[in-house]
Amino acid sequence: MSENIDQYLKSEYSAGWITDIESLTIPPGLNEDVIRLISAKKQEPEWMLEWRLKAYRAWLDMKEPEWAHVVYPKPDFQALSYYSSPKSMEDGPQSLDEVDPELLRTYEKLGIPVHEQEVLAGVAVDMVFDSVSVGTTFRQKLKDAGVIFCPISEAVHEYPELVQKYLGSVVPQKDNFYAALNSAVFSDGSFVYIPKGVRCPMELSTYFRINEAKTGQFERTLIIADERSQVSYLEGCTAPMRDENQLHAAVVELVALDDADIKYSTVQNWYPGDAQGKGGIYNFVTKRGIAHTRAKISWTQVETGSAVTWKYPSCILKGDDSIGEFYSVALTSNYQQADTGTKMIHLGKNTRSTIIAKGISAKHSSNSYRGLVKMNPGAEGARNYTQCDSLLIGDQCGAHTFPYIESKNPTAVVEHEATTSKVSDDQMFLCQQRGIDAEKAVSMIVNGFCKDVFRELPMEFAVEAGKLLEVSLEGAVG
Amino acid sequence: MSDPMQAEQAHHGLQAQSDWGWLKDWRASAWSQFAATPWPTRKTEAWKYTPLKSMLGTEWSLSEQPGSATGTVFADWDRTVITLVDGKVTDHGALPEGVSVQLLSKATAEQRARFEQRLAKTLAGDQLFTTFNQALLAEAVWIEVAPETVLEKPLHINQVLSPNANGRAVPVRVMLDLGSRSQMTLVETFASESDGPVFINPVTEIDVGDSAKLTHYHLLLETGDVRHLGSLQAVLRAHSQMNSFHMALGGVLKRKDIVVRHCGSGAHLQLNGVYLPKGKEHVDYHTTLEHEVPHGTSNEVFRGIIGDDAKAVFNGRIHIHKDAQKTLAELSNKNLLTSHRAEINTKPELEIYADDVKCAHGATVAQLDKGSLFYFLSRGISRQEAEVMMSFGFINELLEALDDDPVKRLLRPLLASLFAKEDDLAGHLL
Amino acid sequence: MLNINDLHARVEDTAILHGLNLEVKPGEVHAIMGPNGAGKSTLGNVLSGRPGYEVTGGTVTYKGQNLLELEAEERARAGIFLAFQYPVEIPGVSNMEFLKASVDAIRSARGEEAMSSMDFIKLAREKCKAVDLPADFLKRGVNEGFSGGEKKRNELLQMMLLEPSLCILDETDSGLDIDALQVVARGVNELRSPDRGIIVVTHYQRLLDYIVPDYVHVLAKGRIVKSGGRELALELEKHGYSWIDEEVA
Repeated sequence: MSENIDQYLKSEYSAGWITDIESLTIPPGLNEDVIRLISAKKQEPEWMLEWRLKAYRAWLDMKEPEWAHVVYPKPDFQALSYYSSPKSMEDGPQSLDEVDPELLRTYEKLGIPVHEQEVLAGVAVDMVFDSVSVGTTFRQKLKDAGVIFCPISEAVHEYPELVQKYLGSVVPQKDNFYAALNSAVFSDGSFVYIPKGVRCPMELSTYFRINEAKTGQFERTLIIADERSQVSYLEGCTAPMRDENQLHAAVVELVALDDADIKYSTVQNWYPGDAQGKGGIYNFVTKRGIAHTRAKISWTQVETGSAVTWKYPSCILKGDDSIGEFYSVALTSNYQQADTGTKMIHLGKNTRSTIIAKGISAKHSSNSYRGLVKMNPGAEGARNYTQCDSLLIGDQCGAHTFPYIESKNPTAVVEHEATTSKVSDDQMFLCQQRGIDAEKAVSMIVNGFCKDVFRELPMEFAVEAGKLLEVSLEGAVG
Repeated sequence: MSDPMQAEQAHHGLQAQSDWGWLKDWRASAWSQFAATPWPTRKTEAWKYTPLKSMLGTEWSLSEQPGSATGTVFADWDRTVITLVDGKVTDHGALPEGVSVQLLSKATAEQRARFEQRLAKTLAGDQLFTTFNQALLAEAVWIEVAPETVLEKPLHINQVLSPNANGRAVPVRVMLDLGSRSQMTLVETFASESDGPVFINPVTEIDVGDSAKLTHYHLLLETGDVRHLGSLQAVLRAHSQMNSFHMALGGVLKRKDIVVRHCGSGAHLQLNGVYLPKGKEHVDYHTTLEHEVPHGTSNEVFRGIIGDDAKAVFNGRIHIHKDAQKTLAELSNKNLLTSHRAEINTKPELEIYADDVKCAHGATVAQLDKGSLFYFLSRGISRQEAEVMMSFGFINELLEALDDDPVKRLLRPLLASLFAKEDDLAGHLL
Repeated sequence: MLNINDLHARVEDTAILHGLNLEVKPGEVHAIMGPNGAGKSTLGNVLSGRPGYEVTGGTVTYKGQNLLELEAEERARAGIFLAFQYPVEIPGVSNMEFLKASVDAIRSARGEEAMSSMDFIKLAREKCKAVDLPADFLKRGVNEGFSGGEKKRNELLQMMLLEPSLCILDETDSGLDIDALQVVARGVNELRSPDRGIIVVTHYQRLLDYIVPDYVHVLAKGRIVKSGGRELALELEKHGYSWIDEEVA
């Protein structure tokens, strides 16, 4: 039946258009002067520039990681531009009303609610366009609740003590090659602070858009949930269709203080490249959270985009009784490659983690789960449960599982299970015998396969994720 | 690779011996590969959890004359035995019909040509200590079993290290070619009577012919200061079956790389193993199942109990090649840690390039089940006794699956004494 | 309604049907009986278009069209329903979701409007009751963790919802206890109507005590070797299948 499957995998990328807007893009190349320029454009204080330069100097001595199960031509870091901003943003519009309507239309076209009176009114949005944030909705309403939600470039000015305390506290500048690069050149991203005891009154989300050619996007997100607070945050990402590979190297840091709860969801739909594997985003991302006593961090990701993905949202379970979760759907088609998973580092007593990862590979793609569960000597009574399932659609793709388990505590329990199978002929026939066509049948079966993960997404995004999967699978069936 | 083992000197010594002239090129190619490989570090994936350099130590020389050994471990049962002491064959029982054995050291001129061909079949390229073995090999035992031969008695390759082996490196190779439709049991045991340190480097190569059936035991029973770094490489031809059981007890360092290749379709592999390090011991099993052709089946089960300050490493890779449709492969690895200083690192891996396959793996790290423990206690059994019985039971499940009674009979008391340091506790286990 | 003429079919390299003839008219219930390996299940699979079953000769006409030209889902939409002997599990896909997709597809093929979700849920619950399944079955994954009897009743539930023209029950009685058997039979009897044909494939005559057929056929070695009325089934029960073998030989 795999020939059948193949007919249906002919997906169209719907977010592949370009916004025609005048941009100020600095010339390609990377050196200390470029970093000084980025810092100057953002009128950063001296400490911030020093922090960047320290990261840059460390980066110079680092090597690109090669252990992941992906093959791609190494980016030429001197051929990229590290800062690009719509010209209209140079004037620093004071509110959403002053933002260039053409920019806002970009987000509307992508289905993002940019006006506060719109239906998805339960969601506050920060819109990041290339290297700058173009606007953030519901700031006043959030401020009333004590919640800070703003571009990180603004937080550097407005909340320097919080930024200085937590920036790099979870992902140090020298953590890895791409984290170091990001630390040196990061442009914009979101900053969130939820005060003690506050339950954030609405969903927060950031929508990332790469528009300009030959640039990279290096966003940096920092979320701090103070004691007993709670927040749910969602990010989405898209980019135009281009023949060149563009680099996206982000860093996300989460800090969940005692009894706090952070839920972080991602719907990643960067341009995946065309059916011949040309173009697409290199998505090299470092995401990590630290959970203090009884805190909980939950990562949910739906990864359907990007030409190459290298991403391991992780939890450091430092406090006793803290909880880490990772729910992931990664779908690769055409020539996409994904090496993604998580790390659960159990330090505290009775810490618990759950990992549910679903990989779907179609066509010529390669899809790997890579994970680490580590029980340190202090992790008395800690528990982990991991379930990784792979589904293969067609005989030209690959599905791989590389789980690392390290335990140094006899009272800790780790359970890992993984399976690999294909959409079975019998399942397809049952659907077809009931009148359901092959394409619909595959999409139902794949959606069913992913149900445990979709359940974790905020309601409206679960629907979106299901549709995204359907679109990405178009043409892949049997 | 730098040379902490004086291996280069040993290599040149061997190359200079006129007897070995015919192996010169074969050996030299391995040597250049070995010498060019940097010493593994924590960043070398295959050695991530086994710090080789510090564990292997330095100052090894090649053994020359075998010492004397009593060889009492695993003796006294009805089998055909070939004994090697310090890597040299010292005892060679009468061989049953259909079986021929040749020794590398005694190869006649015409045997040499065949040996050269057989040795060139070396099965996997990049295992460090298979390369080392090739560079420094001084003895190989080559067993050929004619097609359609059914051997009643097990063939036992009994490798013993004598006190003379102290400070020596012992590279040795065993090769078995099992003819098509033949059936036999091969038992390989490794024991040591040396106070150490001693470094044994054994390589076993097995070729299971079409529709042949092999029951195989590879038992690392050495204790004390032994560093055992070796490999097992097997090829399964069409519709053959191999049932291979592994065990590692004690020893300062044990590392075994097992590679089984499905080269003919319809073959079945059962690969089981147990590792039981305690004290400051270190055991590392790296297994790879290569499914290269369609319709192969594999089932792998490894279990470990890690106590005291011991450390265990398990890496179980299943690799399904592009053409290996309809493969069924499963792997399970379960571990018990019995001390706060013990450590386990396990990584089951799936690498799959064919879609119409069913593969699964599971790995667990846990302690003895509290519910079961309570059940024992509620029946009046002491905690200590219950723990011994449950630990033994955890391993015994695999032992019970063995077909070969004599081996099971010999292994059970060995394990019982290991689990129950006091005799009265062992009473229930036998 | 259904006309099978000299049908030959094979699975992989094994020829299983060797010239089978059968005619089913609307309103009729045909029982197909026969020893294991006679080709009973193959018939159902060939008629419903299961991949892997290759027709090597003969014709099958269904409502005047060449059935063999249609894809599996087209046959289903044309009203052919196969109640599977071994219904497969589809983890994560809820029964409700699956049934709605199926009913939508079939209604749209008939040119009927899609049912609203509310109406559908109501209808599905009603049918659940009819086959003695609790309504929360609709929320569970398709056949996921169902017992043998539950799977068979779920097949019946689907059949009632889809209202097919031609029902083929492939050993629906196997593995059922007497209570479940009666539930299934009651459901099938409810579906009997002047414009619907039913083929009951079974090894035992037990089921035919509850679903009384108009015709009984004995299938052996890939052909129908004997046809008759209800009494033929009783005879088979008394004497087993061996006398058929002798007769065929």
